Amino acid sequence: MNPMNTASHPQQRQFNPYTENGGTILAIAGLDFSVIAGDTRQSEGYNIQTRYAPKVFRLTDRAVLAVNGFAADGNMFVKKVKQRLEWYRHAHAKDMPLHAIARLIQTMLYARRFFPYYVYNILGGIEDDGSGAVYSFDPVGSYERETCRAAGAAQSLVQPFLDNQIYFKNQQPALGTSHPAHLPLPQVLRLVIDSFTGATERHIEVGDGLEMFVVLAKGHDLAGLEGIAGLQEMSTKSDGERIFVIRRELKKD
Amino acid sequence: MEYNGGSVIAMVGKGCVAIGSDLRLGNQALTVATNFEKVFPVTDRIYIGMSGLATDVATLREQFRFRVNMYTIKEEREIEPESFAHLVSSTLYERRFGPYFIEPVMAGLWKTQAGEYKPYIAAADLIGCLNFAKDFVVAGTASEKLFGVAEGLWEPDLEPEDLFETISQTLLNGVDRDAYSGWGAVIHVILPDKVITRTLKGRMD
Amino acid sequence: MASDGGAYSYSLTVFSPSGKLVQIEHALAAVAGGTTSLGIKASNGIVIATEKKTSSILIDDSMLDKVCVICPNIGIVYSGMGPDFRVLVAKARKSAQAYWKIYGEYPPTRVLTHEIATVMQQATHSGGVRPYGVSLLVAGWDVNRGPSLYQVDPSGSYWAWKASAIGKNMVNAKTFLEKRYNDDISLEDAIHTALLTLKEGFEGQMTEKTIEIGVVTVPTPAEIDAERMAGPNDRPKPTFRKLSEEEVRDYLAL
Repeated sequence: MNPMNTASHPQQRQFNPYTENGGTILAIAGLDFSVIAGDTRQSEGYNIQTRYAPKVFRLTDRAVLAVNGFAADGNMFVKKVKQRLEWYRHAHAKDMPLHAIARLIQTMLYARRFFPYYVYNILGGIEDDGSGAVYSFDPVGSYERETCRAAGAAQSLVQPFLDNQIYFKNQQPALGTSHPAHLPLPQVLRLVIDSFTGATERHIEVGDGLEMFVVLAKGHDLAGLEGIAGLQEMSTKSDGERIFVIRRELKKD
Repeated sequence: MEYNGGSVIAMVGKGCVAIGSDLRLGNQALTVATNFEKVFPVTDRIYIGMSGLATDVATLREQFRFRVNMYTIKEEREIEPESFAHLVSSTLYERRFGPYFIEPVMAGLWKTQAGEYKPYIAAADLIGCLNFAKDFVVAGTASEKLFGVAEGLWEPDLEPEDLFETISQTLLNGVDRDAYSGWGAVIHVILPDKVITRTLKGRMD
Repeated sequence: MASDGGAYSYSLTVFSPSGKLVQIEHALAAVAGGTTSLGIKASNGIVIATEKKTSSILIDDSMLDKVCVICPNIGIVYSGMGPDFRVLVAKARKSAQAYWKIYGEYPPTRVLTHEIATVMQQATHSGGVRPYGVSLLVAGWDVNRGPSLYQVDPSGSYWAWKASAIGKNMVNAKTFLEKRYNDDISLEDAIHTALLTLKEGFEGQMTEKTIEIGVVTVPTPAEIDAERMAGPNDRPKPTFRKLSEEEVRDYLAL
């Protein structure tokens, strides 16, 4: 065929506005705290774009949002949520409650029902009643409050492990006892670290660094957080809910 | 792999190995049978599990039985796990360009010169590329989930009962998140002097 | 026409009235005309040895190989027709590699001997061929049976031996070995016994150029275990090897 004569054959070109940037996020709710974590690797195909691209963001002193999927959409979405939360603060002189942020996120996602943000969101924090909460979303806004949730590239590796260790699935309590509905903070942190080291070992898109945000209810003691190396406080005041971030290295291969 | 569904797993313990499978046999999304075991004995100390196309699972089970019986007669000895793994590998590679749609997982014990038994596990892809792992191997439609749970639960030098608990929890929780696997499980823990076989109930849905 | 077989000596697949296949008898005669080879199984190994004779001093005898490595754990020596041996060595090596391709390890001595014997037996009743004019001594080591020594004849029959001799001087050599052999002979002693046995009825000078020796050594339990844990890039440590001319000279000097 003559390469100059392209008009004789129909040609098709397509622009694909989405990519998948790997990584995994995870959140677990305690009785009066919440842990929201994500790895920091950002990749496209077999290329690592950066070893440090945060996927977990502090929204307010009691709300943390983790976004996973298409990084550009994720960053833009977080920016817009933060903007809406600031408008709320200006209008009402207080931070938006967690359940309200969850509903706001649904509305914002569904508004783009026919050109969605290609992201899976997990919102974690403290409710008005002081309980730890996790809300998980699909890209178009369907959401649910849960005790724990994993999303992203290694969701299929992590979620069944969490089913077993958090929900005690396939485990029978000893006679006359029952499984706890919530686990203490140190154990939750151990499970998060184990989940991510496991996912790093077996999934090429997971690794480099781990960021774990811990949200403590008002008046909650530090519950063992004091001793942890590299702990950084993110909260603006010390008398309300408090947010901490713990950073860990993950394997880089 | 998704035509009939199903998953298998094998794990190393201290002086023992364990291997297990789920019990579902499906026709795509439709469950056809709930008692379809995918793990078979080869010798007293070697078992093989196969996930994938059920007709090939049955064919290869007989093929391996035939070849191992011929080996036993010709060589006047029982086949060792390493040799069996290579036999499986070369049998699958014979069909390199029209493969059997199965992924095998093998578990066995081999005797050292000092007379103690050491664990051996291996897996292969559908054309026989062997994977000798020191910890655990998985295959089937729930393989990703099994990798994730096993990576979290497994630890070195598990005693037989602890190994049984670890492989059982890994398999049950792994297949519970897989639509193509489930309906209970069967586990074999291979010890030097005996094999402990247990059938487990799961979510049964 | 052959003097002993009469009408039956033409076809190798036709029995004579006495129940013999005369072509095999002839093949055995070819073996009995060949240079002497022998093998001795010791408590910690095996030695196989042979006399290397050239028809002219002008032949470069470094080219001649009568003791051959089949695979890292097995070696063979022959008496009889050189070209027939060469063909059998090629077939045996191919068979050993085919076994390795299937099982990831080299065949046990008995299995390889069986394979060679099958090839030789087939030549006793196949159309258009004659029996192989060689007897073989197969020496090898495997985890299953340890060191073992087999003799294979043109008929395709084979037996395991503690010590045996084939070729021109086999009767005398066997008598000699029967006198010298005991079950707990060491490999070093066996090598010397092998040389002494060859010396009986040796024509000409026994030197490192006119002798070939192969030995099987038994690995330690630790070495056996290490072998089994070896990865795909590790080559197996040979248990059969040919002695170099220097080594042969040293043994002859003692």
